[in-house]
Amino acid sequence: MPGMWWVVGAVLVVGLVAAYLIWTAGRVQRLQTRAESAARALDAHLLRRAAAAAVLAERRYGVELYAAARIALDAVPEEREAAENDLTRQLRAVELDPDDPACEAVIAASRRLALARQVHTDLVRDARAARGRPLVRLLRMGRGREWPRYFDIDDPTLSVPADVPTG
Amino acid sequence: MRIGIVCPYSFDVPGGVQNHVMDLAEALLAAGHEVSVLAPADEDAALPPYVVSAGRAVPLPYNGSVARIAFGPVSTARVRRWITRGEFDVLHVHEPLTPSLSMLAVLCARGPVVATFHTAMTRSRVLSAAQGVLQILLERITARIAVSALARKVQVEHMDGGAVEIPNGVAVAKFAGVAPLPGWPGECAPGTGGTLGFLGRFTEPRKGFPILRDAFVALAPDRPGLRLLVAGPGDPEDLYGRFPAELRDRITFLGMVSEADKPRMLRSVHLYVAPNTGGESFGMILTEALAAGTTVVASDLDAFRRVLDGGRAGRLFPTGDAAALRTALAELLDDADRRAELTACGDQVVANFDWPVVARRVLEVYAAAIEATDGRVMDQEWAGLG
Repeated sequence: MPGMWWVVGAVLVVGLVAAYLIWTAGRVQRLQTRAESAARALDAHLLRRAAAAAVLAERRYGVELYAAARIALDAVPEEREAAENDLTRQLRAVELDPDDPACEAVIAASRRLALARQVHTDLVRDARAARGRPLVRLLRMGRGREWPRYFDIDDPTLSVPADVPTG
Repeated sequence: MRIGIVCPYSFDVPGGVQNHVMDLAEALLAAGHEVSVLAPADEDAALPPYVVSAGRAVPLPYNGSVARIAFGPVSTARVRRWITRGEFDVLHVHEPLTPSLSMLAVLCARGPVVATFHTAMTRSRVLSAAQGVLQILLERITARIAVSALARKVQVEHMDGGAVEIPNGVAVAKFAGVAPLPGWPGECAPGTGGTLGFLGRFTEPRKGFPILRDAFVALAPDRPGLRLLVAGPGDPEDLYGRFPAELRDRITFLGMVSEADKPRMLRSVHLYVAPNTGGESFGMILTEALAAGTTVVASDLDAFRRVLDGGRAGRLFPTGDAAALRTALAELLDDADRRAELTACGDQVVANFDWPVVARRVLEVYAAAIEATDGRVMDQEWAGLG
């Protein structure tokens, strides 16, 4: 009975297409969620660094560094990248002594920020690539969620001795 | 922290990745973390207590060499069981782009996954045929580590992604203060004596042994008592045949040395020579020689220059130039003060490569990966899907 085989074939094809679509939708959602987590982590590390820099500025380095840290803490999203880059430049300009706990806090926060930035950039790229695929766009699988945004800042690593303290 | 590490290659065979995994696991254990290592191994193999066997490894020709790896349904089942039972906070896989346990683990796991790339391999032929598979693999990895600048460059240029560069560690404690082999390194005074060392496959052109040979043959007649200590795989007849008959009794061939004997061999020489002509992405042996407190003479490769801090921690000579190597050797053998200066600087450099320090940097990457994902490592129902 050739007719039955047509039906079986059609059901099979529909089943496979449906499985693929469900899988793709899940993948897009998962990558999107992960990019959002990475953005939250990046935000936390930016705040941590700015706070550490403000503490250090109050104790030792004065107005310019303190101003840069405050501006980075208060910046609106559109100006935040520039403000963070400015803070990185200010921190590079001062002499940091790894044995001073306040300096050490800034160095450690910068190192963790560099990692968070790296991970965030990679995960945003993955999420955007998944959302940009034609089928995903056509079926609007990512609807209701904002496109993940890159956060484009310079590498915030401070060039200090490579040793990493415990904790 | 509960950490699961996957090693793609069998511990039965010594190798750079296996040593890296073992040293890292031990450093993390020493720092108070719970570590489980999954690796292929024979049923009756003696394994450290933190290693879980994933079954026998099968030799498979891969990327121009033979890799002993485990891959297939049975291995998949074991990987999934290990992940489920381990309840890891973070999963750390090594070389996930070779078809191996590492790749299976990446495909089976959800959650924070950190991957370390060792070789500067661009991409395998298998994977370049399946771009989609590569993408699925890479997007499951949360954070990537490259052990050398070269491996990192490959990541950035060919795999669309960044990687944190964390160098290979060296277990300084295993190298420092070890007794040299009996009777070595012997006398070394201005104009006479001295021992040179070479470790590696002397038949492999890029290891640069012929350059050391030429320099030795040129220097030996002017310097009575100069000796050469060679270790590594190879045929002794072949090695001795490369030297003029009158110099052969000044060459000692140890054959393969075990990991335990390597520090002793490195301490048995006045100068460790690394005449490589290329293909080195990191220069592990240099950090080991520095940890052993031996003066290093190395060709001016990018990787070597980085390890030797631009020549502060060891003498560099133009790559492939036997005459320049001869001059460098003669100068350093005559000058004990200069050797002491270089090794003192080497001690400082190697402190940055010490495993406890390197492990702390790896832990920071774990933390970054955990922050970027919600929850711990889980097995997922449909391996490779979802």
